[in-house]
Amino acid sequence: MRWSSPLGAVVLVAGVLSAGAYVVAVLDVALGRLTAAGHLRLRHALRQPLDETALLLLTRPSRTERPDAQAWALAPALLGAMAAAAVATVPLGRGIAVADVADGIVLFGAAMAMVMVAVYLHGWSANSPMPLLGGYRFIALALSYEMPLALVLIAAALPAESLSVGAIVASQHDLWNVVRQPLGLPLYLIAGAGLAFWGPLDTADGPDLAGGTTAEVSGPSRVAWELARRFVLVAVAVMGAAVFLGGWQGPMLPGPAWMALKTLVLLAGLVWMAHRVARVRLERFVVVAWTVLIPLALVDVFVSGAIAL
Amino acid sequence: MGLRRALARLAAAAEAPVFPVIGAGGRSVAGEIALLGGVRVVDSPRAANVLLVVGGITPGLLAPLLQVHDQLPTPRATVWWPGEPVEHQDLRTVLGEVVVARPGDGDTLRGVFAELVGGGRLSDPPALPDDEPAEWRGVGPYGQGGTGMTGGVPYGRPLAKRSPDPDGLELDQLPLRIGPMFPPLPPGLILDIALQGDVIREVAVGDNPFLGHPDGPAPAGLDTALFLEAARRPQPVATIELARARHHLRWAAGTLRLHGLASESLRVLRLARALRPEHALEVETLARRLRGRRSLSWATRGVGVVTPAQVGFGPVARAAGVAVDARLDDPAYDGIGFSPVVNDGGDARARLRQRLAEAAQALDLANRAGARVRQPGPALEGPRGPLSAGEALPSAALVDLLPRLLVGQEWGDAMTTVASLDLDLEEAAAGARAGAPA
Repeated sequence: MRWSSPLGAVVLVAGVLSAGAYVVAVLDVALGRLTAAGHLRLRHALRQPLDETALLLLTRPSRTERPDAQAWALAPALLGAMAAAAVATVPLGRGIAVADVADGIVLFGAAMAMVMVAVYLHGWSANSPMPLLGGYRFIALALSYEMPLALVLIAAALPAESLSVGAIVASQHDLWNVVRQPLGLPLYLIAGAGLAFWGPLDTADGPDLAGGTTAEVSGPSRVAWELARRFVLVAVAVMGAAVFLGGWQGPMLPGPAWMALKTLVLLAGLVWMAHRVARVRLERFVVVAWTVLIPLALVDVFVSGAIAL
Repeated sequence: MGLRRALARLAAAAEAPVFPVIGAGGRSVAGEIALLGGVRVVDSPRAANVLLVVGGITPGLLAPLLQVHDQLPTPRATVWWPGEPVEHQDLRTVLGEVVVARPGDGDTLRGVFAELVGGGRLSDPPALPDDEPAEWRGVGPYGQGGTGMTGGVPYGRPLAKRSPDPDGLELDQLPLRIGPMFPPLPPGLILDIALQGDVIREVAVGDNPFLGHPDGPAPAGLDTALFLEAARRPQPVATIELARARHHLRWAAGTLRLHGLASESLRVLRLARALRPEHALEVETLARRLRGRRSLSWATRGVGVVTPAQVGFGPVARAAGVAVDARLDDPAYDGIGFSPVVNDGGDARARLRQRLAEAAQALDLANRAGARVRQPGPALEGPRGPLSAGEALPSAALVDLLPRLLVGQEWGDAMTTVASLDLDLEEAAAGARAGAPA
């Protein structure tokens, strides 16, 4: 199958995102159980996400007073579509990519910037205060995620002298970017967790807002939103594996297996963080983003640029 | 239909998503809900299929309860753990299908859920008509009753109005009532807030719904009932201290959940449930581990500072560096090496550390007290402050503090602050009515 054909693209992207979202859900249940009770029930962890999804599919969606119904339906679709666009730019093995375009990094960055629109729409359209506050919060923080994300991706593109994700993967043949640019991956993961409003950076849908943008959502709409949001997390991990961990390159195993393994490691790290690190305070995070994370990302760009010269 | 049946089979094995509503006398069992097997406590009624009402429903809680009930998506069911005695509104008269069960009975709850999903049980009908809360008042260019595009109360929902922010800009200010069943707040707390963005500009504490009952809340139903009992009758020191440690741990679990550490919170609840004096080391380790958790410190440092001048009693004052403690003057604690733990800063972080340290200390005291029995007479140090005959219970004074503390805070910080004070509205109502029982 040609992966850039419409059918191939849908199969590949949907397959990666769904498998990734399921893995995230299983890891989440497993780590939650391990933290809460000190032991693990693998069967339970494997089944619970499916059971829960089935329950939500049987539950009727909620109605609020005068919602913006179209926007409410559009928000998860937009969020999921952005994750799909982002994943499409990443080669998952030698020659296995939907759209390894010449400026893949830029496309990825653009898709991640649109996440803000989806989250705000989701918060706005319920016509209810807690979701709206969640939307506000994401807007307030979005730039603090997007700037470091864009900068570390640019730094990773410098040694490759190309904005194509395939070329960045190829440039790590001898040395992975995680070693060459030690600042890159940690900054990328913080920003990526923010864009997927995940774990400590889940300010938009946090428990202090009774669920934030999801506070008024039930049934299939909740499935759609939670899936889309995990798709974003998967897209972040897939791109992270490609750009910082050498992508599909590795000995013995086939390329896609290496990609899957590396993505899994990053996803496990992100899920671990969600169970381990407390939710950040908005204002303090913005200050840290602009006084620490963004300057560090700039250092990353300058140092990588100097080395590349 | 095949797909539906397959989904139903999967769904029946899911954890029952439960939205708990805590009524009068319900707090003492509230800590158990999250630990029920096969049950998941959710943050919003929209995410639940089972409404779990715990305790008695006072007149002030009834209308909000009906609204919350109707917010649950279908299929939905209501389970009530009324507790003893049933002295409040009988829920079965206002909600059609209510399953009454013994408090803590998870099997009935799961059974109801399984029936609901399996199709053996009909979904609860709505309790309220699907009407506008008020009539449309078509005044103004957009019919909303205000001027321009702001203000007014269309359909009974107040719209944002303009007011200056600290930078001198005219920005929208949204009036908002939260509570008495808003999970981040203690059960029963109602706050009338004016919000600009996510910054709180004005706060007023709404009427305490637990005040509605003619006899006021029964002290036996308070989560500090054991302490109130101990203020009147001889009680072993070890029992009192064990209850104190359990109280602080349950509070800590709630705080962890609010800060996004739900699995960690369950672990602490589990420890609290099985707590025995021999667990002193575990609690000590927990206190140290959470103390070292940077993200938690970061989220609570400098938030909701309470000075000794504002509150001069209990863990809140001790977290601000004041070594006040009724146990200092209590002969029952003579000679077992008690000296109050203090922290400094008086912020949410100090209060978290304070209560964790006090929980560890309480178990230590329980071990050292042996069979020592405390005699009634002197004021008893409860988990929120001293309980002495004829004086208001500690929560009342803490609730009064809220407006001053919350104005100017961001939403998240405000929720952190409220949680850090360990408020109990029912205790505040009991205290406001009659003072501590003599």
